[in-house]
Amino acid sequence: MPKYAMVIDLQRCVGCGACSIACRSENNVPEGVYWSHKITETVGTFPDVWFHYIPTLCNHCDNPPCVRGCPTRAMHKQENGITMHDTKKCIGCRYCQFNCPYGVIYFNWKKPHEYWRENQALLKGGTSSPAEEVREVGGKVVPYYNPERDETLAGIRPKGVVEKCTFCDHLVKKGELPRCVEACPADARIFGDLDNPKSQVSLLLGQFRPFRLKEQLGTEPKVYYIRNFNPAHHHSTKGEV
Amino acid sequence: MKARLWIGLLCIGVLVGLATTFRVYTAGFDVYAKTDILVWTMPLAAYIFLSLTSSGLAFCCSIPVIFNIKRYEIIEKRTVFLEISVLLGAFVCLILHLGSPLKVFYLILSPNLASPLWWLATLYGIYLLVLLMSFQKIHSGKTSKPLCATAFFIAIGTATVLGWLVGMTDARPTLNPNFLSVFFPLSAFACGLAAILVFSLLTAHFSGKQIPEERMAVYNDIAKLFGVMAGVTLLLTLWRTIVGVTSSSSLEFAAFRHMVKSVSFNIELWLGLVLPFVLMMIPSVRKSTAGKLTATVLFMVGMFAGRLEVILSGEIMPLGAMAEGRADFVNYLPTIWEVFVALFGISVVLLVYTLGDRYLQLDAVHE
Repeated sequence: MPKYAMVIDLQRCVGCGACSIACRSENNVPEGVYWSHKITETVGTFPDVWFHYIPTLCNHCDNPPCVRGCPTRAMHKQENGITMHDTKKCIGCRYCQFNCPYGVIYFNWKKPHEYWRENQALLKGGTSSPAEEVREVGGKVVPYYNPERDETLAGIRPKGVVEKCTFCDHLVKKGELPRCVEACPADARIFGDLDNPKSQVSLLLGQFRPFRLKEQLGTEPKVYYIRNFNPAHHHSTKGEV
Repeated sequence: MKARLWIGLLCIGVLVGLATTFRVYTAGFDVYAKTDILVWTMPLAAYIFLSLTSSGLAFCCSIPVIFNIKRYEIIEKRTVFLEISVLLGAFVCLILHLGSPLKVFYLILSPNLASPLWWLATLYGIYLLVLLMSFQKIHSGKTSKPLCATAFFIAIGTATVLGWLVGMTDARPTLNPNFLSVFFPLSAFACGLAAILVFSLLTAHFSGKQIPEERMAVYNDIAKLFGVMAGVTLLLTLWRTIVGVTSSSSLEFAAFRHMVKSVSFNIELWLGLVLPFVLMMIPSVRKSTAGKLTATVLFMVGMFAGRLEVILSGEIMPLGAMAEGRADFVNYLPTIWEVFVALFGISVVLLVYTLGDRYLQLDAVHE
């Protein structure tokens, strides 16, 4: 059984956000929820400033606090290392959210995709309402609904349960790469089997010095970052008093 | 007439609660002031407050059984019934906190023994069952020593597991399980003592009955014990504050330092702990009914604010990707619907208790 992991090459990542958009379409992610997100930081004082950008997603930890805390095993580990969520069993206690140190689990506070459920047209008699548009194109709640997502998880997660990245388990199961990996124009995301020493992720992790988010917590995240990007240089100096 | 008015008021409280339930489950949970940062707010704080008070009442109830102090038997029936009432109110608040409460049967079908939340739910289920059996036995005029002892040990379990649940989160080092698993049961005991005094004294006052001397002597003892426990709770809170304010670790204490300036923390510390403790240290105040009532009501208000402060101090600092585009700390102000949830829970407690007091002869003592 493979142990999946992702390597994110920060030098290749241009921060275009294609991963997040592809993720939303693939997984029918509602507004306000980010399976694929980012941490940005601006350091320094103008004009000597720099902008740091770290793409984030569920870390699919080997020792996941969210799984340990879930009272109904709705949040669970698959044998391939993916941290999966079962919408049917979720009682909406949000203990996984409370437990996750990475802030990557979201709760559906209201009916998802509310905009696309509206029956009011912007211009009465002139434009169609969002709900009519969805009906017209044969979508389910959203016009761009992806029915493939339904194969392993509720295609659209209902109100009152949590949701998060699943490493596109429905695609991985069919031998395809997660959608964010496919969509990355710079090949900054590399996905593969950690147990296979010949896999690209294993090779990269051997080649570079990776880091993971909040490693000190012992959660053993399976999203690794390599090659922290910084084009700045400085002239040789010993400083001053 | 007064009793009818009171019951009518409580029924209005319950009706407002039912309307809130309808609103929450139709419009969605965004009627609460919750975000993906503040995932636990006032409804859960109300649950923690009521469930810990219930555990505290179990500790009080165990005094004649576990510690063999017989004169406390005269408050046993009322205390057990109060435990049930408070626990029902706690469950009401919990249901309105859960996103999908109808799926709770998965706690049995798909249990996770590693989860403190599973243990808490299981213990509370058993606890309610034991309390009902215990009350039934007392009501039939018999003693219920094994059941009362079981309730005592389960109450220790629930109060400590709650500390484990809130504290054992790798994500939120502000909440320390070692501290909370001690703080919760001890403050729960103080809450239980306060609840006995508030409910017993007010019941006697409104029914217009003179409190018998023997019973008043027990209440005076409880007031002394309450003073001690309020002092212990104050001491623990002071140490938490001293450590939090003086430590240089921002990872663990920055959120708490922010909370020290909050309304809830200051209500907890000054109004809920310092003032009741000082009042209970003055013998004349401690002996008077008004003094007892003032101190215990203030303590309970303070503890409610304190439960809210504890969970907020774990949440107000956004974590990881959730911090993106947000301030270092987020502020919390409950919405009217969250206040209604807390009122719903309290109304249920008061209504069940009032009906029990009216029809179940809560002052009766078993053989």
